[in-house]
Amino acid sequence: METAHAFTVAAMGSQFFVGLSRAMILFVVTAGLSFVLGVLRVPNIAHGSLYMIGAFCAFSLSKLFGGGSTGFWLGLILSPLIVALVSLIAERALFCHLYKREHLMLLLFTFALSLILGDLVKLVWGAEYRSIMAPKVLQGFVSLFGSSFPRYNLFLLIIGPLVAFGLWFFTNKTKLGKIARAAAVDREMVGAVGINVSWVFAFAFVFGCFFAGLGGALVAPTGSIALGMDHHLIIEAFLIVTIGGLGNMWGAMVGSLIFGLTQAFGVLFWPQFAIVFPYTAVVIVLLIWPRGILKSVW
Amino acid sequence: MRKQYFSKSLWVCVVLLVALLLAPPILPRFYTYILAVIFVTALLAMSLNMVVGHGGMFQFHHCVFYGVGAYTFALTVTKAGWPMWLCFVVSPLAAALAGFVIGWFCVRLTSLYFGMLQISLGSLLWAIAFRWYSLTKGDDGIHSIPVPGFAATTSSAYYFILFSFILCVVVMYLIYKSPFGVTLQATRDNPARCSAVGINVRRHQLMAIVIATFFAGVAGVLFVVLEKSVFPDLLFWVLSLEIFIMCLLGGWFTFAGPILGAAITVALRTFAGIYTEYWTLILGVLLILLIFFLPEGAMGFFLQKFEKGRDKETAPPRGQHAES
Amino acid sequence: MLKVENLYKSFDKFLAVNGAELTVEKGQLVAVIGPNGAGKTTLFNLITGMLKPDRGRVVFNEEDISKLPPHDICRKGIARSFQIANVFPRLTVFKNVQVAVLSQQRKSSNLFRPAHRMAVEETNRILSSVGLLEKADHLAGSLSHGDHRILEIAIALGNEPQMLILDEPTAGMSPDETSSTMGLIKRLAETHGLTILFCEHDMDVVFNTAQSIMVMHYGKTIIQGKPEEVKSNMEVQEAYLGGADA
Repeated sequence: METAHAFTVAAMGSQFFVGLSRAMILFVVTAGLSFVLGVLRVPNIAHGSLYMIGAFCAFSLSKLFGGGSTGFWLGLILSPLIVALVSLIAERALFCHLYKREHLMLLLFTFALSLILGDLVKLVWGAEYRSIMAPKVLQGFVSLFGSSFPRYNLFLLIIGPLVAFGLWFFTNKTKLGKIARAAAVDREMVGAVGINVSWVFAFAFVFGCFFAGLGGALVAPTGSIALGMDHHLIIEAFLIVTIGGLGNMWGAMVGSLIFGLTQAFGVLFWPQFAIVFPYTAVVIVLLIWPRGILKSVW
Repeated sequence: MRKQYFSKSLWVCVVLLVALLLAPPILPRFYTYILAVIFVTALLAMSLNMVVGHGGMFQFHHCVFYGVGAYTFALTVTKAGWPMWLCFVVSPLAAALAGFVIGWFCVRLTSLYFGMLQISLGSLLWAIAFRWYSLTKGDDGIHSIPVPGFAATTSSAYYFILFSFILCVVVMYLIYKSPFGVTLQATRDNPARCSAVGINVRRHQLMAIVIATFFAGVAGVLFVVLEKSVFPDLLFWVLSLEIFIMCLLGGWFTFAGPILGAAITVALRTFAGIYTEYWTLILGVLLILLIFFLPEGAMGFFLQKFEKGRDKETAPPRGQHAES
Repeated sequence: MLKVENLYKSFDKFLAVNGAELTVEKGQLVAVIGPNGAGKTTLFNLITGMLKPDRGRVVFNEEDISKLPPHDICRKGIARSFQIANVFPRLTVFKNVQVAVLSQQRKSSNLFRPAHRMAVEETNRILSSVGLLEKADHLAGSLSHGDHRILEIAIALGNEPQMLILDEPTAGMSPDETSSTMGLIKRLAETHGLTILFCEHDMDVVFNTAQSIMVMHYGKTIIQGKPEEVKSNMEVQEAYLGGADA
């Protein structure tokens, strides 16, 4: 085990920021998942597939515009919108007819959707690994704690809190956001005051999936875009919202931080079992706080 | 009336059994293999249904126990070098032990939380199997596992698996019809009521989990006997949900529904696989059709149609949905 | 037989039970009355162990049962029926009662004997004593409302209780069904030597049946006494003007 270099401040500091930036991507995705979970009370298994579609769309858009910076920024803006559109179609065509059924059926529907979307990605993009480059302004490294730290990750560290603030503002200060929050707590009341609950659900679902797409577009330059990223992400996202508190956005932040940081430090201390660290952390958290660290919305 | 129905289905079973016994010499080896796969999968699905369909628990990561059974068998045979019979005995027990430990934590919670905790505990085990290369060879899996002589060829493995499958199903049926089984279904329908009549619901549920995971472990061992390998995929959550679908497809309030569900799924997967590589897409569409048109599953549908007014127990009232 | 001493229970900030007191003697029929939201069901949930009190005690046969879980309290001899019909909808009427009987016989975990041959006599006996024997094969979910309530009582009887707690046993029943159900309850009390504690909104039922009445308001016990005492008490009249609610 190469632990000799692991304990230098430089290495730990640098891994800390790596973990933090990974946590930001996780947060963007899980905030959306949490939002859907809070309002519809259904864990959206297709969230991972939509994340994957976001990444692949970012790839295609980037290629469309020559692979340069414009391509990246356009991808960042358009991919989440495309993903939102896909989710809107799924919701209006099929999902909304199931709202009166048991929650288990809704969950199984999202699983079916994830299966279908997963294969659609294979159909459209094929099975090879893809990658795109970060835009020029975000390429390269900065020096932090004696280690080089990718500029792109700094960008992620800014985006995360921005998204958090945006979501907080939306759910607390805008009418639509407040309605969504109310529907999460008591859907009958919302319906009783004359608001079309079905449209609120549709909005909540699409809104949440938008962030899945955004997360996918953000993660695209950091690694390879491949089939199967949906399966791995959705498990991580589920665990994060569970330890954070179902439906709680700040919970998603807390959970993402725990997950991202434990994984980063895992890489440092025991590279072979790096992925075991976050799962163990999740298990420990759940044994102490079975319903999540923060209060769930319902 | 009841006796008539019972002996009719008994005749069906006998005919089916004879047909299955005659299969290997008649059918090409590939079909024998597929039938064996169906039995293994069906056993796994039946074990899940004990917890989900009869017990009403959200067992979202059941295949962890399947994987534990399979890996325990593989490792005790290849690494520990124990006598074969001991490996056969220890592996399902290991699965049941994992079931007890994980179940003990999960029964403290209800519905979604139960499922989430299980997924996280199960994923931890998957991660360990995936990464502990020196022990499990990680993603490569373990191959060429020696199996006893009486199950070495496809045909003999088939008979061994068929025999084990029938034995397990008979035991599960006895349990289903026993006071334990009736009480378990009661805890599914109304845990509060059960407490009020003196049943320790948590303990009962935990017992059900241990029994079910034991059988999942048996299925895992049978998998190894058939395939002579193991992979971490056996512990991956996608497989768990696929088994869930089999129970739904077959009808989870019936006893034998999951067998039908497993048979249909494996058959479809095999034959769809010949024509297309988009089996997952087909499965997804199939699941959506099920959710919309056949929520009682195929078995439930047939039973409602042909046994209308007779055996009322297997036809739950339509349109009932649970408040979470 | 049962004594509730100074019981308190709050949910978040809402004080549902606020100093409740109750005494039930062996063999009595005691009623708890009070307006909607007075805390009657919460009190019953506290007594039967579904909720734990914040303060105070519940004593049954000289034993403090305040902290016991529901299944243990059932073993001590208290059985209950629920306000909203709480049966096993997917099981037959017969199996509904059988589950309780098997539990009482401590055979619930028996794995290898066929259930349909066990506890048949006892189950049928209970079913015939409440008049549901002909419907034994029907799915519980398909029963009429009145039969649901009777099945509730039958399930409770499966535990051979010393004391039966009934939460609004005649809720939603027509006057005919009400009087026949109350007649059934009185008969069962006599034949099985049961002590009965129930809560009701129907004042006729209460004043005709109960030997002792406890009045609750805002979670507090106002008074407990014989029907005449309660009727004439000023506080009761203020809190519960006119009598019949719901």
